[in-house]
Amino acid sequence: MNAKLIGAVGTFAVAALLAGPAAADKTKIDFWFGNSGDIAKRVQEQCERFNASQADYEVVCTSQGSYDASLQNTIAAFRAGQQPTIAQVSDAGTLDIMLSGAYYPANKLMTDMGYTVDWKDYFSGIANYYATSKGEMYSFPFNSSTALLYWNKDAFAKIGKDHAPATWEEAAADFKALKAAGYACPLGFNISRDEVWQLGEQFLAVHGEPIATRKNGYEGLDAELSFNKGKWVQFVRDLKGWYDNGEAVIKSKETGQTFIEAFANGDCQVILTSVGDHGNIGRTAKEGLNWDVAMLPVYEGTDRKSSFVGGASLWVLTGKSDAEYKGAAAFFDFIAKPEEALTWSTVTGYIPVRNSGFEYLNQQGFYKEAPYKGRELAIQSLTASPAEDPAPQGIRLGGLLQIRQEISNGLQAIFIKNEDVQASLDTAADRGNQILRKFEQTYAGKTLP
Amino acid sequence: MVERTPIFNAVCQIVLFIGLLTVLLPFLIVVIAATHDIRTVNTVPMPLVPGSDLFANLHEAWIRADLGRKLLNSFLFAGTVAAGKVLLSSMAAFAIVYFRFPGRMLMFWLIFITLMLPLEVRIVPTYAVAANALAPFQAILDVTGISWLIRNVSGLQVKLEWGLLNSYTGLILPLVATATGTFLYRQFYLTVPDELAEAAKMDGSGAVRFFVDILFPLSKPNMIALFTIMFVWSWNQYLWPLLITTDPNFGIAVTQLKHLIPSEFGLPDWNVAMAGTLIIMAPPLIVVILMQRWFVRGLISTEK
Amino acid sequence: MEKRATFSSTTIGLLFALPMLVLIFVFFYWPSGQALYWAFTLEQPWGGGNTWVGLQNFRQLLSDPYYWGAISRSMVFGLGSTSIAMGVALLLALFTDREMRGHKAYRSVFIWPYAIAAPALGLAFRFILAPEAGFLSLINQIWPGLWNPALDGTDAMIAVIIAFSWKYVGYNFIFFLSALQSIPRSLIEAAAMDGSGPMRRMWDIQLPLLTPTLFFLLVINITESFQDSFGIVDIMTQGGPARATELMVYKIYFDGFKGLDYSGAAAQSIILMGLVVLLTIVQFRFVERRVHYK
Repeated sequence: MNAKLIGAVGTFAVAALLAGPAAADKTKIDFWFGNSGDIAKRVQEQCERFNASQADYEVVCTSQGSYDASLQNTIAAFRAGQQPTIAQVSDAGTLDIMLSGAYYPANKLMTDMGYTVDWKDYFSGIANYYATSKGEMYSFPFNSSTALLYWNKDAFAKIGKDHAPATWEEAAADFKALKAAGYACPLGFNISRDEVWQLGEQFLAVHGEPIATRKNGYEGLDAELSFNKGKWVQFVRDLKGWYDNGEAVIKSKETGQTFIEAFANGDCQVILTSVGDHGNIGRTAKEGLNWDVAMLPVYEGTDRKSSFVGGASLWVLTGKSDAEYKGAAAFFDFIAKPEEALTWSTVTGYIPVRNSGFEYLNQQGFYKEAPYKGRELAIQSLTASPAEDPAPQGIRLGGLLQIRQEISNGLQAIFIKNEDVQASLDTAADRGNQILRKFEQTYAGKTLP
Repeated sequence: MVERTPIFNAVCQIVLFIGLLTVLLPFLIVVIAATHDIRTVNTVPMPLVPGSDLFANLHEAWIRADLGRKLLNSFLFAGTVAAGKVLLSSMAAFAIVYFRFPGRMLMFWLIFITLMLPLEVRIVPTYAVAANALAPFQAILDVTGISWLIRNVSGLQVKLEWGLLNSYTGLILPLVATATGTFLYRQFYLTVPDELAEAAKMDGSGAVRFFVDILFPLSKPNMIALFTIMFVWSWNQYLWPLLITTDPNFGIAVTQLKHLIPSEFGLPDWNVAMAGTLIIMAPPLIVVILMQRWFVRGLISTEK
Repeated sequence: MEKRATFSSTTIGLLFALPMLVLIFVFFYWPSGQALYWAFTLEQPWGGGNTWVGLQNFRQLLSDPYYWGAISRSMVFGLGSTSIAMGVALLLALFTDREMRGHKAYRSVFIWPYAIAAPALGLAFRFILAPEAGFLSLINQIWPGLWNPALDGTDAMIAVIIAFSWKYVGYNFIFFLSALQSIPRSLIEAAAMDGSGPMRRMWDIQLPLLTPTLFFLLVINITESFQDSFGIVDIMTQGGPARATELMVYKIYFDGFKGLDYSGAAAQSIILMGLVVLLTIVQFRFVERRVHYK
């Protein structure tokens, strides 16, 4: 016997909801994501294609405005028992959800719902970033990218070069030559929190150097940051040297123009940024800008390793009905289709996450011609080392966003306040370690899957 | 007033004019950005000569953000929040200023402290409350043992439930619960001459009569100022509406604006975003302009 | 401040306050209480449980020199933006109230800043303040390197103070003007007849009558400068360069909202709240004594 007191207004609201579209026979599932602007529109289109493709399920896709807001809102909803079925979580929030037990593992979901997924089909670099230490995939890679070097071919022609620098030694010479040829900004970069990943994490990845001990945290929560001990210190010193000589220039929205805008405008000749920007730069580039992309340079004598994947993956949350899980599985099955990969990569700059998708795009001649040519380098960069390579293929650290902020603060001290390189990076690592210890204490007694 | 102070007048005019320019400049930039195409809006520096794409951008923003329905919701939402705040705060301040009962000052501080902790800090537990607004009472009943008592006496399991997610009530109520208005009204009531209340008491009219017949008309400028500010404030609320409405039927305009703002890896179509800003900014501006008419002296009863 | 004439019925008084009290209990105190509990624990964001750690979160914060830096920066920001926003608004309201030519236009335009949405504000100010491409780049053409909020901490602080003040000028203006408009015209005309000039009248009549509003705005502006600065800092500087604009509230939002460190953020909110309450009490005790109520 339940004596439920339901407020009049609440009832009214519920009634209004029920009186909505009379699609009673369809199972509705919620999907919350963080992208906004043009990408949000593309996600919506994908949802509509799925809804039109079958009659049993309806996925309701809601943009929460940003990755942070989406994660926060998903957590709030989960704690109140009102969570969506599918939630997008960015690389920085992966470890938190992995330790939460709030999810239905992707591999289990697909098996339970009767789908066979060839998990080997995922590019190893992408799969491993989101997989457990045992290689099980708990979430579906969704929007994936990695960093590339963008270069201005006309400017390089002026200094007698027809290819992008493959090593940092070569790059240093190129910057010098570009400066001598009268270019005010040979290399454009920024050191804000959101832009240190390509300078730091990606650099360490392609050089096969750890960002933290315990295999970048994959082997335990007691990992300690170690980025202040290897080649990266040298790179920061070199970058500071270029900066002091005026060969590298900080370009941010605070100075008036981001380095991406500066490149598209022809003001900076080299930048490092996500393949996801490939589309933007194409669409906003100055008339006649002659540019191309290349993989990130490495120092001479380095055996190039895979770069890390950036972006976000899709998690299925616990506490939903079987019908809803069936819907979620159908949705994942749908977006994994090669045709969907083609549409997705065409309308956004994101890359296909599976071999079959990549091959399909290749067959269609996607990478052959102008606006999309060059994006295949992202795949090359992500798969530079073999799948069984022992080097970590991702980062599994708690409070990653706060650690990035500490790295950014350390770099700002170096570049803006001229503080000592080693000392500043040591401070950043120290403060980052405090964040890691606090995280470890928060999840005391839990072990990494 | 006939008065000759030419130098001071000139100073005033100059100051006001500089103020006008400073205030208008950012608006001009938004308008101009809304008239460019995507390439022009992203050149640095952005040309200050307006482009020709204003209507195309407005149209795109309107369609993409489904602004027809959302603006209506926003009006409903912001209007109710502002009206609710005016009503509740005038009442609460009345209790604090015009009554003498124990715990009165404690009450004032209890209300006042709500200014100190912004919603964002407590958003996770607030969401839980919105999922069931009666949860606090349920908890109290459980902890005090009253639910246990009821179950044993009548055999009824007490289960209080009032879900506010995806409803206008859920959008509105939590935003009404702050102190700005109460404080403003307190300041105002304190300036009302004591003689008025004394006279009312002498006439034998009670507290309610005094509140409705005397204080209410007197506080009109206050009320309008507060309503205007609160309307604009609630119109621009973003985080709470975004969280609590996942059903697009209850969505409001500003959250749509956030969807128009380019994301990190998205197409930087600031022209469309700024066109959307123009549309979404217009209603609060119109409200401000309309409300201004009520500030004009003469419409306000000044017979004190 | 006490009224001489009051009503005696406690019941009616309570009834008047009841709706507000119920609302703030359900939507403020209940959830805040839960959030504040986290300050003494380490809370797992997804709700998997927590560990009681007592004052550990506070100890860590108060022994961190960077956190003390954030406290003093918040003070600078609060004082700077409050004095600019209130000073400018008061001046504009007093002058607009003189009802000279164009006062109707001024009356509505000066409120507009409060109506602009934060992202639009961010874009506009980026265009105005950017050292290479904005309006202020003119300064750099005359004195190279003088203005660079991207690389100079002081300039960045000035930039966020300007942007915040710009928005709150509109807010303050509307309350100043509404207060000025309810001052009886006859009072000012009588003074004019006695031969006192406009500046004298502002000083002797209007300002004293404005003090309740001034006090209200002072309290609100200071609390808001501690609370509402997050959006502007996030859009304009993200706390940089080199922590120069890392304010207390920005750190709270960043650690809690983005970094999912609920407990650290809750401890910081307690400290922030304590500080604001302290400031408010000081204002009530020392400033309100000088306020002229009728």
